[in-house]
Amino acid sequence: MADFLRLLQNENMKIYRRVGTWVMYAFIIGIPLVMSLAIISVTPEDPPSNWLFMFIASNILASLIAIFTVVKAADAVAGEFSQGTIKLLLIRPWRRSSILLSKFLAMLLFGLALTAAAFTVTLVVGTAFFGYTASPEDMFSEMGRKNPWGYMLLWYLYQFISAVAVASFAFMMSAAFRSGGLTIGLSIFILLAGGLITNLLSLLDKPIVKYTLFPHLQLTSYLDGGPGPLPQYPMTLGFSLAVLGVHFAVFVAVAWLAFGRRDVA
Amino acid sequence: MTQSPVVRLQDVTKKIGGRTIIDRISLEVYPGEVFGFLGPNGSGKTTTIRMMVGLMSITSGDILIGGHSIRKEFPQAIRQVGAIVENPELYRYLTGYQNLVHFARMAPGISRSRIDEVVRLVGMESRIHDKVKRYSLGMRQRLGVAQAVLHRPRLLVLDEPTNGLDPAGIRELRDYLRKLAREEGTAVFVSSHLLSEMELMCDRVAILQKGRVVDIRAVRRDSESSEAAPDDVWFDVERPEEALRVLDGLGKGRIEDGRLAVTADRKTVAEINRKLVEAGFSVYGIRVKTKTLEDQFLEVTRGESVG
Ligand SMILES: Nc1ncnc2c1ncn2[C@@H]1O[C@H](COP(=O)(O)OP(=O)(O)O)[C@@H](O)[C@H]1O
Ligand SMILES: [Mg+2]
Repeated sequence: MADFLRLLQNENMKIYRRVGTWVMYAFIIGIPLVMSLAIISVTPEDPPSNWLFMFIASNILASLIAIFTVVKAADAVAGEFSQGTIKLLLIRPWRRSSILLSKFLAMLLFGLALTAAAFTVTLVVGTAFFGYTASPEDMFSEMGRKNPWGYMLLWYLYQFISAVAVASFAFMMSAAFRSGGLTIGLSIFILLAGGLITNLLSLLDKPIVKYTLFPHLQLTSYLDGGPGPLPQYPMTLGFSLAVLGVHFAVFVAVAWLAFGRRDVA
Repeated sequence: MTQSPVVRLQDVTKKIGGRTIIDRISLEVYPGEVFGFLGPNGSGKTTTIRMMVGLMSITSGDILIGGHSIRKEFPQAIRQVGAIVENPELYRYLTGYQNLVHFARMAPGISRSRIDEVVRLVGMESRIHDKVKRYSLGMRQRLGVAQAVLHRPRLLVLDEPTNGLDPAGIRELRDYLRKLAREEGTAVFVSSHLLSEMELMCDRVAILQKGRVVDIRAVRRDSESSEAAPDDVWFDVERPEEALRVLDGLGKGRIEDGRLAVTADRKTVAEINRKLVEAGFSVYGIRVKTKTLEDQFLEVTRGESVG
């Protein structure tokens, strides 16, 4: 166990010793700051509550966090292949599955750390610029007005789960195709076009859309007791989580199979 | 030999897409031995090494390292191996030292002081805290050797390790590998397509051609060559055809490339020289044509179709 933690330590070192990682953090910290300054200079007399600011800024950051996590997931395996370091990595007294697991966990921790950073920064910056309100009247959501802490925490949790689902897909692609470019391209396409594909599929009027990955990436639609991402097919949070769970299991299984056996040429 | 081999290849075969790339290779490397794996480009050296370290599956046959099968008991087998496969590709955005820490963490019981010791061994003290992307190929080779020996492996596998090294670096590596074999009893398996290098570095050499081992032989060292063994000797003499008649069959005299050549031991060479001088020929030089590995290599592979 202690030995496995050292694998994780290695993967973390390879993430945090790269300049790119800190550029990502610079975005997470810089965007809320720039937004606050912009709001204050444009509408100084009618500022939002700190919670409304947090909600708006977090919506922007959530997309970035998903993209950044996908980039790291894509790099996890494919990067070792493109650098050629995979050959030195795999000739150690470890099963390939352990090495893959350490990479997967490091990727999850990276996404979690970015999410925590975004939560903290948007909360602190919002409070610093707009003051703290216990019950914000300007939130769009019923629950958000009554219990902003609970609402935002749940909102972040749902966003994190969606990010993990897409990042797992990227991780699978990375392990199966060993190409970072292809992986990042396809995963970001899913992120950006997911909503559009969901709409197209619902136009077809086939309930099958309920079982695809795309709509369930919008878990936040269940907040405030909503019917979920597809209003014409009311679903429950449990159902969405189950669909995500099945996709997740398939992605992880494919990654494991693809990485575990094939020749490293 | 009475010792058991560190690595044993048993009828190892690799087929990719119906093509046989490695064809029933069997060989053994013993503790304290530097074993050369010599073959032209594309003969299958890297493919064999990839199978030895578990990066590629083995189509049939098996590879045992310290008695453990690389396919069935991978962790037990590989923990005894240090290797560089093809180019020494390391994490370019990490420093040399961070790279060593990374690989040290993956094996049990490697202390910081062991890392420092290895850094000194490969002579990288002054540059070890620089990023690898700023290293020359020669320095990356050294760092590659460093990560391979960190855990004191019983078997060291190096794929064309002299690529990118200057003559001084090659000499240093050669001395280091011989010392490792002699003092720590490490079995060293080195591949190369350069005959001259293998000759200086190795105790035994396997010659690989189109995926098959065509010969395994001990490398003859000058110091070991017996006085009594006949050598091919060239006589630099005027009018070689006439001189040949004087020899009267002594030392299987013959004309090669317009020069007088014989196969004779030391005593016979002296006798031939005396005969020639007595018969009035001026002998300008006597040169032993040492049989290099290259000659042996050509001898073994001669007559086989190319391509
Ligand atoms: N992954 C692969 N797929 C198909 N053929 C390969 C693969 N790897 C190597 N080969 C072929 O196997 C032969 C041996 O290659 P290699 O082991 O790299 O030779 P060497 O290291 O001696 O130069 C070459 O003909 C090469 O084209
Ligand atoms: Mg090669």
